[in-house]
Amino acid sequence: MTKNQLNAYIALLAAQAVIISLFENAIPFPFAVAPGAKLGLANIITCMALYTLSTKDTVKVVTIRLILATLLGGTISTFMYSAAGIVLSFLGMWLVKKLGPERVSLIGVSATGAILHNVGQLIVASWVAQTWSVLLYLPVLSFAGILAGIAIGIVANYLLNHVEKLQRYRYLRETNE
Amino acid sequence: MMSSYFKMIKRWDIIIVALLILISFLPFAIFSAVQAKTTTSDVKNRVATVTLDNKQIRKIKLTGNTRTFQFTVHSGDGDENVIEVRKNQIRIKSANCPDQNCVLVGYISKPGETIVCLPHHLVIEVKSDTEATQDIIVSS
Repeated sequence: MTKNQLNAYIALLAAQAVIISLFENAIPFPFAVAPGAKLGLANIITCMALYTLSTKDTVKVVTIRLILATLLGGTISTFMYSAAGIVLSFLGMWLVKKLGPERVSLIGVSATGAILHNVGQLIVASWVAQTWSVLLYLPVLSFAGILAGIAIGIVANYLLNHVEKLQRYRYLRETNE
Repeated sequence: MMSSYFKMIKRWDIIIVALLILISFLPFAIFSAVQAKTTTSDVKNRVATVTLDNKQIRKIKLTGNTRTFQFTVHSGDGDENVIEVRKNQIRIKSANCPDQNCVLVGYISKPGETIVCLPHHLVIEVKSDTEATQDIIVSS
């Protein structure tokens, strides 16, 4: 990959992630049981980035996404919530991916991401509310999170294996290491 | 078709998902452990404090109380909360607030439990004795 290709690819991923998260915000929440639970569709992009880019470039994608999504459809408080969620989930996904491709697939990576996203948000929520009892809500959210995470892992797996460019970038990334 | 899904799943995926489920119940376990500890150790001396506009207006000893009585808290503008104490429990029996959340809570008796009537700025809290004795020293 040349430098320009790399920049364009990073920009493309970030733009897709922003659009996906805006689109997801527009979906009215379907379940009355777990307010605050979300599909986390933008996680697909983070998975793609993790598997096709170096860690440094993945951080770039995630940061651009966080800032742009906040500027386009958020407030300071949503920024705090999503920042905590994104940082925690990125760290978790990165660690899980370190286990290696023969041990763990995208499903495990994206499920970790989904749950840690919830954990991050709830920690901020409990800091805002000054009580740890908000964390009691975690099992409800993480149940939804695990299901969504597994589905998103499957989707990301298909994308990685069937989109030609992604396959190539992944190959490049793995041979570079 | 289905088998292609299973081929995708690796062993560590299952381990990780199971671990994550366990971790998500961790706060729940910690909280119930803490709760159990406080209720057994502080069960000796429980008091209920009634706070209006951040000022404590009444303190009722719950432990050892065998009477049943009620009193009314007026908080201006015709706002009224009727509070009832029965043995070692306390509740808001009736109120003229719009949402009636405080009435629906019912009786509370354990340390840490609260009834909040947001429209009337009224808070009832059950506490353990340690804070209570300090309060008495300060106020005398």
